[in-house]
Amino acid sequence: MMSQEPVVRIKGVSKRIGRRTLIDKLDLEIPSGQVYGFLGPNGAGKTTTIRMMVGLMSISEGDIYIGQSSVREDFEGAMKQIGAIVENPEMYKFLTGYQNLLHYARMSPGVTKERIDEVIHRVGLSNRIHEKVKTYSLGMRQRLGVAQAILHRPKLLVLDEPTNGLDPQGIRELRDYLRELAHTEGTTVFVSSHLLSEMELMCDTVAVIKQGKLVDVKVLKTGEETEQQAETAFEVDKPEEAAALLGTGAVDGGSVIITADKEGIAEINARLVAGGIRVYGISKRTRSLEDQFLEMTGGGQIG
Amino acid sequence: MANFFKLLKNENMKIYRRLRTWIMMGLVVIIPALVAVLMAVSTGGDTEIGAWDAFTNLTSLFFLVSIFSAIIFADIVASEFTWGTIKLLLIRPWKRSKVLLSKLLAGLIFSLLLTLIFIVVNWALSFLLFKNISTPGVYPAGYSPFSFNLEMLLYRYVDMVIICIFAFMLSTLFRSSGIAIGLAIFLLFAGNILQALLRPEKYAWTKYVLFTNMNLSRYMIGDGSAAGMTLGFSVAVLSVYVIVFLAVSWIVFMRRDVAA
Ligand SMILES: Nc1ncnc2c1ncn2[C@@H]1O[C@H](COP(=O)(O)OP(=O)(O)O)[C@@H](O)[C@H]1O
Ligand SMILES: [Mg+2]
Repeated sequence: MMSQEPVVRIKGVSKRIGRRTLIDKLDLEIPSGQVYGFLGPNGAGKTTTIRMMVGLMSISEGDIYIGQSSVREDFEGAMKQIGAIVENPEMYKFLTGYQNLLHYARMSPGVTKERIDEVIHRVGLSNRIHEKVKTYSLGMRQRLGVAQAILHRPKLLVLDEPTNGLDPQGIRELRDYLRELAHTEGTTVFVSSHLLSEMELMCDTVAVIKQGKLVDVKVLKTGEETEQQAETAFEVDKPEEAAALLGTGAVDGGSVIITADKEGIAEINARLVAGGIRVYGISKRTRSLEDQFLEMTGGGQIG
Repeated sequence: MANFFKLLKNENMKIYRRLRTWIMMGLVVIIPALVAVLMAVSTGGDTEIGAWDAFTNLTSLFFLVSIFSAIIFADIVASEFTWGTIKLLLIRPWKRSKVLLSKLLAGLIFSLLLTLIFIVVNWALSFLLFKNISTPGVYPAGYSPFSFNLEMLLYRYVDMVIICIFAFMLSTLFRSSGIAIGLAIFLLFAGNILQALLRPEKYAWTKYVLFTNMNLSRYMIGDGSAAGMTLGFSVAVLSVYVIVFLAVSWIVFMRRDVAA
């Protein structure tokens, strides 16, 4: 699962409608085999970007490559590699779940009947697949949505706010499923959301967008947790003494705040204990991603 | 060009898996049957109607086929937008132009099928309920009952296709089945009235109006020649309209941003 080259390259993409610039010179590369998050407040331009990726909207400027295929120049080549749900998975309600899948299977080369059955089994719809979609619950429609998106074993799965309207149980299942898909099958998953808490749980990397501009790209999970320096609070009985003993650190109430990495924390703890200080608790004080996100997107201001 | 036939299969599935379609087909059988029985009962005895005459009378119900076909054409693009399924349909490895072509062809196949049902049903009713006697003087000179009816049906079919392609264009343009169906049916019925109002022998420009050229069957009895219009002229004008309707549909469908 070595990530040789990015699955998606968004190169200087802009979208203008009338005088409004919805997306402004966006550059983004999505490495393969990851769950890649696309985070931004409502109206930031997530859906617009995804619509351009899948050819639902024209690209005003720049281009998007899926693998080697340009969405503008080789639409069919690009779409062969993508499965997507853009906003809600709308299905033909008068058809059965199976007929819906058959419909999309016919549109992609090489999807066999066996593959359809396999996908139905995977998303757990085997018992209801021959019923009309109008009898399905939202959760079932979502599963059918995922099924149509993965039928043709796409290299890239694009999901626009997939957790909207799902209950916590449904969100958990989807999350586990997406991670499994990415990490065992090597499918790259590009998933948008305006909820940071969700992104933190399911994504390896998150790109943050605000008012049509890329604000930041954050790596959340790397292979083995690389250690970073973090503000750490040591709750002790005598904070001033502790700070003096260590020769560093700021006193904050009953705690000493020190910036250290994993090993440093253990070492400091040992020194404190050896110096006769009672340590009641050690906690990392990283600004939560939430704070960082709010800071970056500037809160308020709907784009 | 992997397998265009599969796209067609999909469009057909979306037409024939709907109850509505079967109701339409049922009505194309039942309504002519009722009319034929009424005709047979009311003329029992003195005034005899021949089978071919009955057939000719029944084919005036062709407007049923036109309305139902226009509904399918008006709906075939617009419904994907109202359902939201267009978002899943257009992200497949198929160019939009081919997706639209599959819809046009599926519509044409439906209209052809409905026309065939209509003809077979009417023919069966006519020859079951009425005697195969010839009544002279009903058909214009040079036409046998068979050739007259065949040509008449062909012209009606042509009119229907034009209405349907107009509905198809409205469907892609407005993404609303309601508007498309409404305008198409208006055109269907207002066409005859407008044709009567527009006098090509008085105002030359009206020769190029769509309605003036529809209803090609009038050339069978030599109408329209007053203004120097011929069958060939009308066919040419109608072809231009059809090409324009199709061009507008394709350009709009291929360029349009699909947003919620
Ligand atoms: N078809 C459109 N025409 C004009 N403005 C649009 C259109 N679609 C979206 N927008 C605007 O573009 C911005 C980005 O929208 P969107 O991509 O839907 O945001 P997100 O998915 O991140 O919530 C919003 O301000 C929205 O109002
Ligand atoms: Mg959105």
